[in-house]
Amino acid sequence: MISARNPMKDKVAIAGAATTGFTPHNSGRSQASFVAEASIRVLHECGLTAADVDGICGSTPSAASVQKMLGIPDVTWFANPSIPFVNHLAAAASAVHSGLCETVLVYHGAYRLPWNTASSLRDPFRRRSTMGLGLGGPGPETIAGAVGYTAWASRYMHEHGVPKEHFGLVAINDRTNAAQNPAAAMREPITMDDYLTARMIRWPLCLFDMDVPVDGADAFVVTTAERARDLPHPPVLVHAAALGMIDLNEEDQTPGLGRHGQHVTVEALKAKSDFWIDDIDVYFPYDGFTIITLNWFENAGFCGPGEAGAFIEEHWDAASNRILINGRIPVNPHGGSLSEGATQGSGHVREAVHQLQGLAGSRQVPHARRALVTAGGFFFNAQGVTLRRD
Amino acid sequence: MASAADATSDEELVTRFPGFPVDFDSAAHYRGRLTRRLLVNRCDACGIWHQPPKPVCPACWSSAVEARRVSGAGTVHLVVFLHQGPPATGVDYATPYPVVTVELDEQPGLRLTSTIVGSRNDAIVIGRRVTLDWIERDGTPLPVFRLVDQQPRSTDTAGDAGAAR
Ligand SMILES: [Zn+2]
Repeated sequence: MISARNPMKDKVAIAGAATTGFTPHNSGRSQASFVAEASIRVLHECGLTAADVDGICGSTPSAASVQKMLGIPDVTWFANPSIPFVNHLAAAASAVHSGLCETVLVYHGAYRLPWNTASSLRDPFRRRSTMGLGLGGPGPETIAGAVGYTAWASRYMHEHGVPKEHFGLVAINDRTNAAQNPAAAMREPITMDDYLTARMIRWPLCLFDMDVPVDGADAFVVTTAERARDLPHPPVLVHAAALGMIDLNEEDQTPGLGRHGQHVTVEALKAKSDFWIDDIDVYFPYDGFTIITLNWFENAGFCGPGEAGAFIEEHWDAASNRILINGRIPVNPHGGSLSEGATQGSGHVREAVHQLQGLAGSRQVPHARRALVTAGGFFFNAQGVTLRRD
Repeated sequence: MASAADATSDEELVTRFPGFPVDFDSAAHYRGRLTRRLLVNRCDACGIWHQPPKPVCPACWSSAVEARRVSGAGTVHLVVFLHQGPPATGVDYATPYPVVTVELDEQPGLRLTSTIVGSRNDAIVIGRRVTLDWIERDGTPLPVFRLVDQQPRSTDTAGDAGAAR
């Protein structure tokens, strides 16, 4: 059942967002050090001290670790939600709105891990920090985890008869945008030839279809809209949020591309939000895999099933070599997970906040007032949030 | 039906399936594998199959779920060719390794994921009919599939791009 209830609408704000920037190499630093750097930066920018924080929300390191690391004296609420990052934002906003706390430090550390990079497997500290995570698994005869997106990409191509170039446009758009983002890990433009000749990882998806493992972190301050209005940056209001999931949410049991978590997310957001895709100034579809982005375009309502590639071609701005929907709306202007780095959605939310605050530098969308972030994939991780400037 | 596998202790079962999610709810499935019987949970109350094993029937909430033998016949629904992947005995990614999700004939949407043996990769496409077979890995049986038809079903292959496998 999908409810239109949304008493939290515009009552909670993101007062600030900050990043360490991202590197596609093993940095020689701990995940905690990046989280500390981003957290200290965002609290400074918001003019807050450790004593102003009474809530902590993030995945790794734990909220308890972050509290002691940053000497945050007392908190009355904390949570360690699983990715992607709309989960963290929604949890923090709910806690603020309900009065469990007033000002939440929300963070996400992206970190290169042994299950996705060979060089991390050779790093004893990284290996030790994730023992048992994705190592010693049941062998290759499964599509659980990352392989699931590749498997459904094969189905997407089968059902719609679309060429690989449609996936490639997503990767090229991200790389073009990342060139304007100093925080991005991959800033060299790529061509369709580069895409089509890239190393195959799991057919039908190649290296450029998959997000870039990075070291780095984002951090946010979430508080009441009222309190945020007294802080230095323009408040960004959390307008509506949804975490969509269906019952058959295992990768190989999910019914099909016509019904999964993205559909629930979209139905819920449309029911709860006063605006949708016709009223946004910037769009952030998740891009951990290119197939996810194509599906978000279709499921958000920009076009019909199988038509995302054609839609992107139609809205391709040749001059800037990227997507501009209706000649106006950029898509993942920070470069997304494919090029800024695999932030599991925190980069998308951070860039949305900066765009709505007018702090996006050379990437700034003129007069950006409303943004849509649709984070995550198909199965147990489709999420979305609509944000607007106060 | 009692068998040697049914007598396998929980301790030994876990040892035979390192890395697999063996627990109270899935033990019957893994015990079945030891004697090359592919068992999938079916609800005695409403007759609905479900996969992977759960402690109650998701359709009617009955706890009368039993691991029942399935034929293993079905249709390829999803295809991946791994150019790299986790180390596994007998798997050489120099030839991209096929991983398929098969829709079993017992019920629409009831699927099992494994590999396909005995075929060239370019023959493995969505829509192909398969049958169950077994291989051994590190001394433990693994259910796999084998293509049965010579040609894919004509209605279910449109648009499949077969390049670069
Ligand atoms: Zn039942």
